[in-house]
Amino acid sequence: MEKSRKAIVLQSSPYLVWSILFIIVPLFMVLYYGLTDEEGNFTLANIAAIAQPEQARAFGLALLLSLAATAICFFLAYPLAMILARRRTGERGLVTTLFLLPMWMNFLLRTFAWMTILEDGGVLNGILSSLGLPAVHIINTSGAIIIGMVYNFLPFMILPLYNSLASIDGNVINAARDLGATAVQTFFSVVLPLTVPGILSGITMVFIPALTTFAISTLLGGSKILLIGNIIEQEFTLTYDWNLGSGLSLVLMVFVIINIVVSGLTEKREEVHR
Amino acid sequence: MKKELIRLDHVSKSYDGQMILDDLSLVIHENEFVTLLGPSGCGKTTTLRIIGGFEKPDTGKVIFDGEDITDLAPNKRQLNTVFQKYALFTHMDVGENIAFGLKIKNKPQSYIDDKIRYALKLVNLEGFEHRMPESLSGGQQQRIAIARAIVNEPKVLLLDEPLGALDLKMRQDMQYELIRLKNELGITFIYVTHDQEEALTMSDHIIVMNQGYIQQEGSPEDIYNEPENAFVADFIGDSNLMKATFVRDGLVRILDTDFPCVDKGFGDMKPVDVVIRPEDVELVSRGQGQMPGVVSHVIFKGVHYELEVQAGGFEWLVHTTKFFEVGTEVDIRVDPFNIQVMNRPASEDEEAISPEDEPPVLQE
Amino acid sequence: MRKTLEKIYMALILIFMYLPIAVMIVLSFNSSKSRTVWGGFTFKWYVSLFQDSTILNALANTLLIALISTLAATFIGTLTCVAMSGMKRPGRAFFTGVSNIPMINADIVTGISLMLLFRALHFDQGFATVLLAHITFNIPYVLLNVWPKMKSLSPSTYEAALDLGASPFLAFRKAVLPELGPSIVAGSLMAFTMSIDDFIITYFTKGAGFDTLSTMIYAQVKRGVHPEIYALSTLLFAAVVTVLLLSGKVRRRSGVPKKSSDYQKQRVKTKILAAAAAAAAGAIVVLGLLYGGVFSDAGNKVYVYNAGDYIDPSVITQFEEETGIEVVYDEFDSNELMYAKLAQDDSAYDVICPSDYMISRLIQEDLIQPLDFDAMPDATQYIGQQYYKSAQAFDPGNQYAVPYCWGTVGILYNTKMVDEPVTSWDILWDPKYSGQILMQDSIRDCLMVALKKDGFSANSTDEAQVAQAAQDLISQRPLVQAYVIDQARDKMIGNEAAMAVIYSGEAIYCARENPDLAYVVPDEGSNVWIDAWCVTKDAKNKENAQVWINFMCRPDIALKNFEYITYSTPNVAAQEEIEDEQIRNSPIAFPDQSVLDRCETFVYLGEKADRMYSDYWKKIKSGS
Repeated sequence: MEKSRKAIVLQSSPYLVWSILFIIVPLFMVLYYGLTDEEGNFTLANIAAIAQPEQARAFGLALLLSLAATAICFFLAYPLAMILARRRTGERGLVTTLFLLPMWMNFLLRTFAWMTILEDGGVLNGILSSLGLPAVHIINTSGAIIIGMVYNFLPFMILPLYNSLASIDGNVINAARDLGATAVQTFFSVVLPLTVPGILSGITMVFIPALTTFAISTLLGGSKILLIGNIIEQEFTLTYDWNLGSGLSLVLMVFVIINIVVSGLTEKREEVHR
Repeated sequence: MKKELIRLDHVSKSYDGQMILDDLSLVIHENEFVTLLGPSGCGKTTTLRIIGGFEKPDTGKVIFDGEDITDLAPNKRQLNTVFQKYALFTHMDVGENIAFGLKIKNKPQSYIDDKIRYALKLVNLEGFEHRMPESLSGGQQQRIAIARAIVNEPKVLLLDEPLGALDLKMRQDMQYELIRLKNELGITFIYVTHDQEEALTMSDHIIVMNQGYIQQEGSPEDIYNEPENAFVADFIGDSNLMKATFVRDGLVRILDTDFPCVDKGFGDMKPVDVVIRPEDVELVSRGQGQMPGVVSHVIFKGVHYELEVQAGGFEWLVHTTKFFEVGTEVDIRVDPFNIQVMNRPASEDEEAISPEDEPPVLQE
Repeated sequence: MRKTLEKIYMALILIFMYLPIAVMIVLSFNSSKSRTVWGGFTFKWYVSLFQDSTILNALANTLLIALISTLAATFIGTLTCVAMSGMKRPGRAFFTGVSNIPMINADIVTGISLMLLFRALHFDQGFATVLLAHITFNIPYVLLNVWPKMKSLSPSTYEAALDLGASPFLAFRKAVLPELGPSIVAGSLMAFTMSIDDFIITYFTKGAGFDTLSTMIYAQVKRGVHPEIYALSTLLFAAVVTVLLLSGKVRRRSGVPKKSSDYQKQRVKTKILAAAAAAAAGAIVVLGLLYGGVFSDAGNKVYVYNAGDYIDPSVITQFEEETGIEVVYDEFDSNELMYAKLAQDDSAYDVICPSDYMISRLIQEDLIQPLDFDAMPDATQYIGQQYYKSAQAFDPGNQYAVPYCWGTVGILYNTKMVDEPVTSWDILWDPKYSGQILMQDSIRDCLMVALKKDGFSANSTDEAQVAQAAQDLISQRPLVQAYVIDQARDKMIGNEAAMAVIYSGEAIYCARENPDLAYVVPDEGSNVWIDAWCVTKDAKNKENAQVWINFMCRPDIALKNFEYITYSTPNVAAQEEIEDEQIRNSPIAFPDQSVLDRCETFVYLGEKADRMYSDYWKKIKSGS
């Protein structure tokens, strides 16, 4: 659209100012606090603190649990997204809504409900014992935290996978079959590669919040299991060491940056190929 | 007589209780260019998908080379398909796309490379191996889709409206290209389109479909010159389609004027449909012809003029190389062998052969 | 076969998704306050929901913030898209890039970064800062939806409209906006949802006394959720389902319009929907103004900061009615959390209720001020002198604090699960009870148990002693089911654990709900504690704060609170009025002098020892 420069400047300035003030400047503040000590002198100690046993443990555990949760989400969501994408368009909307609806109940409450379900005398063990099965102890274990993560972030995996699967022209799959590929070959050589963007965004949308959560581990881990999110939260709300908290946050941002680079690379690769 | 290759035996198919194909039977011979022609929703694409194996018929059988392949998966069939909107694998380059079927069959790499070069040459896209599909024009993508199919040396190539997404010029070029390909490869083409001109240009054999039934099949000349019913007449080419009364053998009453004709056996004083092609309507001076009329509209079309003539309360479409001014009083004359008389179906079936979206112009 | 398998798979995942929601809905009709016991069907929580101003307030805040931030984000976002369509590549790249940051970045980092900004700018954290934060993370969702559509729009419609003489604004409104419509709606719906659902960013950017539903629930979840919350969530969920069903019906019925009259009908329908949406928005705003207190007068207020679940809520309402002073009430989980907040901004609250050792620290650090007892006659008249005497330990001269509750720390155990007599802390280290032990999630209480077990003072500053105690606690870790605060109550009542370290007040409540529970103060001794009201140094409403303290000392009020929270009251007049004889003479509530003699009061240990305790605590919690 041909528009005067003045109009463009006028229309873009609100968000320009907003994003600088509320996105860019705050990030630089995290950077500043993360790289200084209480007196304001430059230091790398806050970042190096990730290697101290308490933090390293919490960080390692967070990595482990969030990777597990992401993998479980992926393997649960992919078949589901395929089933959904195969449905006729009329039904699709309804069924997809059904999987997104739970998000409208507050996420803390839903997680809290899992406490009631997973407790030793909770709903799950009630069901198990009525079936004559032995009780399981899940609450306040890493397993409970993984369940909480999977539960809360599963829709974020389903949605992008579903979108990328639904956007594949059915004839592309027919074409692969037509050219002699079996159903399995078709899946691995055509369907899976075509959904790579969806897979990447699904993984991002599950992995990052799972890695940094503190609410889920507080509720389902019984304050016994600390993740890196809990440590950072405590630095800001309990011990008031903003420098350390910011330093640890910078470590988390590394994962965000890795993520951007990876998705940027896949995009590049496709462009170079062209 | 050519050898029979594919036979559909009493095939029916419905979705959600809606009948798409109703007891359809047809035969396709070896080395033929067969076109399934009809308006959208006529069942032509479903027929093709049943042959390709992407749909299973509710009832009936598909016979390929004497073998029942009704339940055979698409990857086991000796035919390949060129899809609507190409359906290329966008995550692979052109070479990988073409090699797909061959790699699945574990052909040696040198064989595959040769085949890619050969196929690209065949579709006039040499040197495109490493391009990505999305960087190509529609016409180029279509050629790749064809190349991808033919490297597998199928006995039959199925083409589902392959030119639908191309612009006019490209479409015409590709039509010749396809005829050439068919002749070079010497295999059977089954081609689906709703474009009657495309069908007439390329086909050896045309099957006109509507509402899940075959309306007529035959050579392009047969279909054009001797449509068997009003639907076919209207769907194929421009025409003057009118209700008429078959007075007796050799005489038909059109718009209250009796015209001699060559048809026989419709019964006396029976209602019929007649079709007269615009190039078969002769305009002569007043008093010299069979019915008086007035020229109401003239358009120059290059090779000929297209006229509208008001005569007998009907707007006749006329193609002529002579120029007439608007308002000229003329007479209409039609040679008996140029009047095509057709059975008028009973009212129930009338519904079945007139597609809702483009009803044939039937005027009194 | 395959279809059936697919259906079973979908059903399993749906059960997984909806099971917690079903649990919530069931709990909303449970007449027992404990979530592990079914006490019969009731609607009472739905009734009390509409009398609970705290919850309604949080709801109003949530809706108001979601609505305003969505409107603002939609406006700014759409405007930015329009501007971007006229830009060259670098400009577009800047905006898509910068809007990606809040979406990809971890919420905790976004929340922290904004909190640092607001602090640096000395913004009062509350409604405004949360709103700014929400607008910030909502704009990207609008861009995400609108920009792709804007990019795909052919400029010719806009140009054609200009060509036909329309002004640029008119051309935009008539030619571009209708095309963008659906994507703008989609973007704003997404933004609204994200705003409603957000917890982490709100948690870091909110200030004292301000809560949305999320942050309120988080605070409650640590201590046990009020059943009214279940009722509210059930109602909200039902509302969303209803809206979805209705809109689905409208869409299905209208289908693809065939005749022009159908278009007409559809337009009317759209208008009705739009009107309904506008009405709903209006209602939200009105509700928000009524409850949100955005424009309420700032003058006659008192900011109260109390421990969680430490007051009968009706007392707050009664106070407001009788005095005309509006109460801004906030709760903390632990003394340490409260201290952290105070150290950061002492003026955020007027009146606080810390424990003994924390009071001595606050006095030392000059964070609280001497009280004017003349203004609080009930505090002198009704609170027992012996409690003031005990308070001298941390408040020499009784200048700063008015005792509110007191009690001991001991072991609550389930007699069905523990056969042996419980007399010593040692039982908490008995591997027989692995996974059945609940410890307090609090530095001093937890370390006190180990220090006393080892025969040291609960106020030890000897590093060797503390290290030994910490080592004991680390070795105990595998046996511990969880470190909890107020959840111990629910878990013990629900037979979820065999024993818990707990405050005597909690023990009374638990024993009342579950007769199998017994409480003991171990022989090695324990902690006797006093929580008392104090006024912050920089209190903005000191007079109101003293009115509040005096009110708490009124015998009828003290009694009300005692019956609600079951913590022993130092109010002598109230003690005498306790109706239930068993409780009036309860050894748990009012133990023998012999028990009290072996108990110690916590004192503040000084900064160095405090840091030492913190460091060991971190080690205990992370198990290294």
